[in-house]
Amino acid sequence: MLTDDELERYDRQIAITGFGKEGQEKLKKAKAFLAGAGGLGCTISLYLAAAGVGTIRMVDPQTIELSNLNRQVLHWTEDIGRMKVDSATEKLRRLNPDVKVEAIGQKITAANISELTAGFDLLVDAMDNLPTRYLLNKIALEKNIPFFHGAVYGFEGRVMTILPGQTACLKCLYRGDIPEEKIPVVGVTPAIIGCIQAAEVIKYIVGIGQLLTNKLLIYDGLTMKFTELKVKKKSDCEHCGRLVKDEK
Amino acid sequence: MSATMNVPSNLRQFTGGQAVVECDGKTVGECLHDLARKFPGIEMGLFDTDGKLLHYLDVYVNLESSYPEELDKAVKDGDELHLTLFTVAGG
Repeated sequence: MLTDDELERYDRQIAITGFGKEGQEKLKKAKAFLAGAGGLGCTISLYLAAAGVGTIRMVDPQTIELSNLNRQVLHWTEDIGRMKVDSATEKLRRLNPDVKVEAIGQKITAANISELTAGFDLLVDAMDNLPTRYLLNKIALEKNIPFFHGAVYGFEGRVMTILPGQTACLKCLYRGDIPEEKIPVVGVTPAIIGCIQAAEVIKYIVGIGQLLTNKLLIYDGLTMKFTELKVKKKSDCEHCGRLVKDEK
Repeated sequence: MSATMNVPSNLRQFTGGQAVVECDGKTVGECLHDLARKFPGIEMGLFDTDGKLLHYLDVYVNLESSYPEELDKAVKDGDELHLTLFTVAGG
């Protein structure tokens, strides 16, 4: 049941065709797990909290550095040295006190990921490395919950939404690992990509529109082009191949 | 065969900043080698020491991945290719 304050706060989105009070109730009940409180994580959490997603758990082991501030917009100059999850969740609570925001300052590992994600309806990928992204992909498949992938490089970014057993997964898209390097990025890129991920999450919860499934959306900020590339489920995929076979 | 190749931003230093370039070849491999002839230096960002496509690159032909054929994937006149870099940063 939405309160009078909630009806007023979300008035403009409740007015969207196909959204309504019912959609807002769904958002209020939803529990989103967000891996990462960096550039993508800041943007995603900001818009999920603003939209009224009932519970948001942010997980990130890092502390804030000066070089983060060009893009991680929930972390401000006075926050340097704080845990990113503490800084972010404090701002999110000020933005929307109705949302339950949880801060967990841990590294996601194979040993703790099942417990960390227990009880959550969906996983959002705002990580900075491929091995952890693979862990998230696997646990989403195992728990049969959607997984919202996003990544950035410079002025470029990419987004894909994964519905376990139904659509291509992250391992259908990527192979092997990627050499670690300091990645260049300008703040507007994770802002745009994070907003698209947040839009995907909101649409999924509310149950409206079409998702970026079996599609990789590539954003090129230098040419200001968006391109949708087709991604196919691989029957021999290391992560979801078994699910694909089980469906047949 | 002439096709267009969309080049990711990290390799545009070799194409004079061009995001889209023309390339010739009957396969993805031939098109990439044509790029290397036209834009010296770009091959370091395309191939490993065995001459295979770097494992963190994908080439899409008319919006579909060339994997697993990769370099052997056929290219027709007028095809549009996208060279994409696996991206893992979270900002």
